[in-house]
Amino acid sequence: MTKRNLRNSTLLGGALLFCAMGASAETLRWASTTDPQTMDPHAVNSAPVLSFLNNVYEGLVRRGQDMSIEPSLAASWEPLTGENGWRFNLREGVTFQDGAAFTAEDVMFSYERASNEAADVRSWFAPVSEVRVVDDFTIDFVTTAPNPLFPDSIANFMILDKDWAESNDAALPARDAENFATMNVNGTGPFTVASRDPGVRTTLVPNANWWDEVGHNVTEAVFTPIGNSATGLAALLSGEIDFIQPIPLQDVAQVEGRDGFKVLEGEETRVIMFGFGHEHETLLYSSDVTDANPFSDPRVRLAAAHAIDIASIDRVLFRGKIEPASQLVPAGISGYSEANEGRPEYNPDRARALLAEAGYADGFSFGLKCPNDRYINDEALCRAAASMFAAVGLNAEISTGPVRDYWPQLREDDFDMYLLGWSPGTFDMEHPIRFLMHSQDDEKKLGSWNFGNYSNARVDELLPMIQQEIDPAARQTMVDEVVAITQEEVAYIPLYTQPLIWAAKDNVDLTQRADNFFMLRWVTVN
Amino acid sequence: MVDFLKKYEGLWLFVHSPAAIVAAIVAVLIILGAVFAPWLALVNPYDLSSFSLFDGLLPPAWQDGANPKYLLGTDDQGRDMISSILYGARLSLVIGLSALTIAAVIGVGLGLAAGFYGGRFDAIVMRIADVQLALPAILTALLIDGIARGILPTAIQQDLRVAVLTLAIALSLWVNFARTARASTFVQMNKEYVQAAIMMGQRPIRIMFVHILPNILGPLLVIMTVDLASAILLEATLSFLGIGLPADSPSLGTLIRIGMQFLLSGEWWILWIPTLFLVALVVSINILGDFLRDVFNPRLR
Amino acid sequence: MVYFILKRLVQSVFVMLAVAFLAFSLFRFVGDPITQMTGVETSVQDQERLREDLGLNDPFIFQFGRFTGDMLQGDFGFSYRTRQPVAEMIATRIPATLELGVVALIISLLVGIPAGVYTALRPRGIATQAILMTTLVGVSIPTFVIGIMLIFIFGVQLGWLPTFGRGGTVQIGGWESSLFTFEGWRALLLPAITLGVYQLTLTMRLVRAEMMEVMRSDYIRFAMARGVPMHKLHYKHALANTMVPVITIIGLQFGGVIAFSIVTESVFQWPGMGLLFLESIRFVDIPVMGVYLVVIAFFFVLVNLVVDLLYVAIDPRLRVKDV
Repeated sequence: MTKRNLRNSTLLGGALLFCAMGASAETLRWASTTDPQTMDPHAVNSAPVLSFLNNVYEGLVRRGQDMSIEPSLAASWEPLTGENGWRFNLREGVTFQDGAAFTAEDVMFSYERASNEAADVRSWFAPVSEVRVVDDFTIDFVTTAPNPLFPDSIANFMILDKDWAESNDAALPARDAENFATMNVNGTGPFTVASRDPGVRTTLVPNANWWDEVGHNVTEAVFTPIGNSATGLAALLSGEIDFIQPIPLQDVAQVEGRDGFKVLEGEETRVIMFGFGHEHETLLYSSDVTDANPFSDPRVRLAAAHAIDIASIDRVLFRGKIEPASQLVPAGISGYSEANEGRPEYNPDRARALLAEAGYADGFSFGLKCPNDRYINDEALCRAAASMFAAVGLNAEISTGPVRDYWPQLREDDFDMYLLGWSPGTFDMEHPIRFLMHSQDDEKKLGSWNFGNYSNARVDELLPMIQQEIDPAARQTMVDEVVAITQEEVAYIPLYTQPLIWAAKDNVDLTQRADNFFMLRWVTVN
Repeated sequence: MVDFLKKYEGLWLFVHSPAAIVAAIVAVLIILGAVFAPWLALVNPYDLSSFSLFDGLLPPAWQDGANPKYLLGTDDQGRDMISSILYGARLSLVIGLSALTIAAVIGVGLGLAAGFYGGRFDAIVMRIADVQLALPAILTALLIDGIARGILPTAIQQDLRVAVLTLAIALSLWVNFARTARASTFVQMNKEYVQAAIMMGQRPIRIMFVHILPNILGPLLVIMTVDLASAILLEATLSFLGIGLPADSPSLGTLIRIGMQFLLSGEWWILWIPTLFLVALVVSINILGDFLRDVFNPRLR
Repeated sequence: MVYFILKRLVQSVFVMLAVAFLAFSLFRFVGDPITQMTGVETSVQDQERLREDLGLNDPFIFQFGRFTGDMLQGDFGFSYRTRQPVAEMIATRIPATLELGVVALIISLLVGIPAGVYTALRPRGIATQAILMTTLVGVSIPTFVIGIMLIFIFGVQLGWLPTFGRGGTVQIGGWESSLFTFEGWRALLLPAITLGVYQLTLTMRLVRAEMMEVMRSDYIRFAMARGVPMHKLHYKHALANTMVPVITIIGLQFGGVIAFSIVTESVFQWPGMGLLFLESIRFVDIPVMGVYLVVIAFFFVLVNLVVDLLYVAIDPRLRVKDV
């Protein structure tokens, strides 16, 4: 008790100690590894920003605890008749945190702001050809083609108040200099930012005029970024914070073994996979095969898949907490292909036989690139995989680096094989097909993360059809076909779904959503 | 005769300093272990096919669930801890010693010349030293690492990581040598034998390296031992900050960085055994450094 | 004398420029800021446009010219990561780093000087050997391991001290200080000790060496012979004589303390400049990295300058030599 009161003095300064003593029971202090770069919901399309700001701003639709789409600022929506697109019927009586009323004008303004060249989230609106305000509480989004998933794809499109933004010179997202919206907020959401010290501390307080039923009992929430995972865990165990996301896998037992703490385990939607330089003429990093690219042969790619002992990886590196993956989205995501659930089993003999068949009976060496600060245990995973590859004759030269120069290397085609994790932003199989399986096409903005340029004409043909198909069964048939093709050709080696591990004090009830977003509105402090 | 006495005196002191004896034994054992690592180690941690994830996270032999084959247990990759440490010490010592040699050559050369010529040359060298001091080791390492990445083809970058790291550490250490050499040279410059040599018209290079250098070796040797310890620690710190060596060619520092992940998880040996080893090595070097200082600076006894 | 000061000032400016140049040439190799500034769904065209807008496609020398030019006019630019003015970001972080550095230095002096004196006066004592050995082990453990160990012993196991951050801070005219609250001091203790361990050992050894030397000097022997009381001899005459070289060297080390606080700040999530710099590296936040390096260089140059001037003031021989 004393400790908590003392901590409160931190927030308000020593002089205000007395004021803080009253309602301290519902203060929630939480930590995560990265500070949201900005408070502007359209400036940076990154998980820390979107996760944090979903507590402050709201979109037309939102995701529930199970990731399902539910009404938010739009009370309902239906497809337009006579043209492609969607009509959103807005909720009435909603006010922004500064008291201004929410209307269709604000949605229109936010659309223009978020689809502007200065916005990083504009790709969400690529399918949109026109937006029309019908009346104060009705707005139409017209799309260039039928787009059954459009409402799902804009769950993180957050609405700003037009007058607030314009009168504060924040009509456009800040790009190279700050503006008012970088540090200040005015949303319709359940919380508002009371103070912010970037990289150090951000304090949130509830929005008393929130339109929805309040399901939390938090009176104040304090966020601290803690980059070093050991320090973060120490902060939790010493009682200085109530909740942390994520904690390292290997420390789960330690937290569970202590009284007063609990671990929340789930599956993130991110699938970790190996990718190949499909298109390369030759290997870049081989000391023995310099005149060919063995990975252009599907048998070699399949051999690599058979070399992976996913059970040992699970047991030793991930302490039994991963779910092996057969395709680029985990089960439960819409579009997941139940017809193609099998993954190549661990079979080194078969791997060697396949290599011999492909003409590489003695194996060959190649370069494997991995990030070392992006995914859980990414570097250890690559070392383990390299050791497994070596056992069948695939001698990987590993090269690891931080993402800040890993992504540029992938963009420059500088790899033979690489590690990638993918979380479907729309929570639908179409997302990885669009970004990872369709051939690279800068013009149409497709295949932009298909670094090895895996290319299959049928997959390219199916993508637009999948995007436009309204009938779920027909759509699934086409998705199944894509998954079958890419498995047959071993476009990628899907490895596993990354686990999601949070830790909290026992007295904190919260919901762990599969997108790793932490929603304060579902928190109760007992 | 004087030399002999000095040696004799050093030896005499050595025999009477138990700390120095123990330190020397520890240091020699570690160095021998590092040199003969390929013959002593159970597995070669660089050869990915020589170990398997299947053997991962085994505790040391005296704990439950151990495999007696791995006396000090295995890490998260299934690498034998002893083998990793022997190879790690090898790499750490190679990096430390090469960095030290480079730093000593640059530093002593510049320091001697600065002390000898003085004036403008001295000012330039000392300002370069200031620039170097103003760029902390961590930043120097980043700089060298970055430049190497910019000018070398990626295919050989991985192989040159050790060289790059060595150079980065060397560059952050040479200033010490330069300053010490310069200060000692200043002192020597006023001595008659130097003045005499100058009057006799001997070549400056000859005066510097034949006459002055032997007379300032004492303090330089002390710096060498202390800096060897710093070099090894610096490599560990750079690895902790993620600008050191990759995990598949582990130095002692990298092993500690990897072990940090297991600080709380119960697999204590992955962190503490390499740490203990590193501390033993560095403490021994430091004790020997102290001992040398006492030998060269009898007034402190 | 004036000539000497002017000369050193001019030299200092060149040192700063050289550091700025080196620092700036480093940025292009740290990574690609664009991939860190944009989300996964951002198209290649949008990335390219941003790159063009930020001037990252301009020739290196142009970028450097713009950087130094703007800086000389007092414009430190905006952070790529947070879009905030860099000058403001660094300025709000300076107090945390300086307070940490100064307190670490004070701890190292408060412990190091008495320990140095003691070990000099009783060179053969058991306690002396123990102190020497402990400090030797202390400097032989990597800083980050010491920090984490302290956190787990005093923060988690004993629960005496906070494990991260600055605790209670008070704003004093734009300077955010943790020196005026109990909580602030509690939070400061562990990081300051971690950062101070190396300095402590250095101070102790310096004091010990100087003290032993002074104790042998003629005037101390003379005073001894005259019957000056031992404690007065030790503390007034001998110690005072050791202080000049000790303070000089410690002063010179202060720049190093500030730079090395990067590691400590990262372990303790201490919101100083070093932590900001590490985050900036991760996000390839070029403007912040640049200004940080120049600020650090400024500290070094300043401290060096002051020490040099002190030297000249104390030792007239150097004056002659340099002119």
